[in-house]
Amino acid sequence: MSSALEVEGLTVAVKGKKVLRDINFTLEEGIFLGIVGPNGGGKTTLIRTILGLLKPASGSVRVFGQRPGSTLAQSGILGYLPQHQNIDPNFPATALDIVLMGRYRAAGFLKWPGKKDREKALQCLTIMGAEELRNRQYSQMSGGQQQRVSIARALAADPRMLVLDEPSTGIDVVGQEDFYHLLKGLQKKMNLTILMVSHDIGSVTSYVDEISCLNISLHYHGNPLGALDEKVMTSLYGKSVDLLVHSDVCDKCERLRQH
Amino acid sequence: MIEVLSSPFMQKAFLAGLLVSLLTGIISTFIVLRKMSFVGAGISHAAFGGVAIGFFTGADPLIAAIIYSVIIALGIEATGRRGGISEDVSIGIFYSVSMALGIALVSLSKTYNVDLFGYLFGNILAITDADIVLTMAVSVPVTALMLIFLKEYFLITYDEELAKVSGIRVRAMNILFLVALAVSIVISIRIVGIILVAALLVIPGATARLFAKGLLSMIFFSCAAGAFSVIAGLFVSYRYDVAPGACIVLTAATIFFVPLSLKKWA
Repeated sequence: MSSALEVEGLTVAVKGKKVLRDINFTLEEGIFLGIVGPNGGGKTTLIRTILGLLKPASGSVRVFGQRPGSTLAQSGILGYLPQHQNIDPNFPATALDIVLMGRYRAAGFLKWPGKKDREKALQCLTIMGAEELRNRQYSQMSGGQQQRVSIARALAADPRMLVLDEPSTGIDVVGQEDFYHLLKGLQKKMNLTILMVSHDIGSVTSYVDEISCLNISLHYHGNPLGALDEKVMTSLYGKSVDLLVHSDVCDKCERLRQH
Repeated sequence: MIEVLSSPFMQKAFLAGLLVSLLTGIISTFIVLRKMSFVGAGISHAAFGGVAIGFFTGADPLIAAIIYSVIIALGIEATGRRGGISEDVSIGIFYSVSMALGIALVSLSKTYNVDLFGYLFGNILAITDADIVLTMAVSVPVTALMLIFLKEYFLITYDEELAKVSGIRVRAMNILFLVALAVSIVISIRIVGIILVAALLVIPGATARLFAKGLLSMIFFSCAAGAFSVIAGLFVSYRYDVAPGACIVLTAATIFFVPLSLKKWA
């Protein structure tokens, strides 16, 4: 197995402020990685740097042995699912239109996606269990359905690595479990490397192969069960695991009790 | 009716109107979806500064306005990207300063007359053969460029970051779009006038949004709504001797509000 991702001494600054500091880890191909940590901990910054949208202040990133800038210029490497709320929920397009967007690059300059691209798009919708949605308007789908269509779009470009930023936002808890299950299936079936950002450490640990706990620096990388360690949790959230789940409420209870 | 079509100045107006409505129809779709209507309004008012520079220096006001508006559009893009000042604020500054510059130059120049009125509110009678040549020379290549990069603009409109990851040079495309926007504003000035030109950039797209099921159909409806408004508006303007810009915008607004209210009741 070759390395899908090598991150070495990575420091990233946004507007002069260090958002990531000295990050080091390697990821083998075909691994499902969960990236967790508090808000403002640099999760999105890390994936934006891996995608080539941000430049490191120092250190390096290699995606399948290449610099992120050069992966942007090639097709068939990256599939990306941006944060759901960035997309206009009333965007005028059918599910098939959205998935075909994933074929734009393969179709080439000045050419519209052709019959083969349509077949590929339908195939990706089928993989995601969403073929019956193909003529449905994007605006009339549930959050979960929109997310399936978006993943079908990302898959349509035949990526080796799928990068998802908070994909479970807007999906109910039951839907989330199904969704993670689906990703797990894709990983196995297509030997995909998956990078998934999530703020929900509790639910991702049972699906991912490895986990990165990020709060400006990398506090833990490895087996997901190892992340549920009190020391790791404290470094991420500043409180113990018990408090993490209900932290706000407990804080208030505690204060009320003292008065 | 036939008499209208046989008069040479109306023929020119219709030809210019159709060229303009096709380009603004495409631009309007993206203006509406990308929520850029303030950029459109800002650049169109800023164009007044360019027209006034033309008056003052004796250059062709439309050519001066094209150059000036493109510079303003690039200025808005540059300040928006550098951060610190929001794009919203930079548009507010650019357009008011341009209008102030325009008013100052018009006051200083000796040609303060009906001509200016025509630029502000549109004047079909003022359309010269040179204007038609300019409109064609500018609108045909710009429309072609927008159509060539339609796929890229669809993806950018859907999500900019995703477009970047898909290998599209988003910044270059955005600059091209702003230049197209500035150009389409200036070539619309003869017919609609500076004051109302922004309406052509918003209303056709908004009307199309009521009907469209996809982006291509939205562009089609937007161009159709724009072309119908321009043609019908010019007829009304000729018949009742009312400023063409007002007639065109009121027609456009009617075909927006009627289906919108029917949709609400349905």
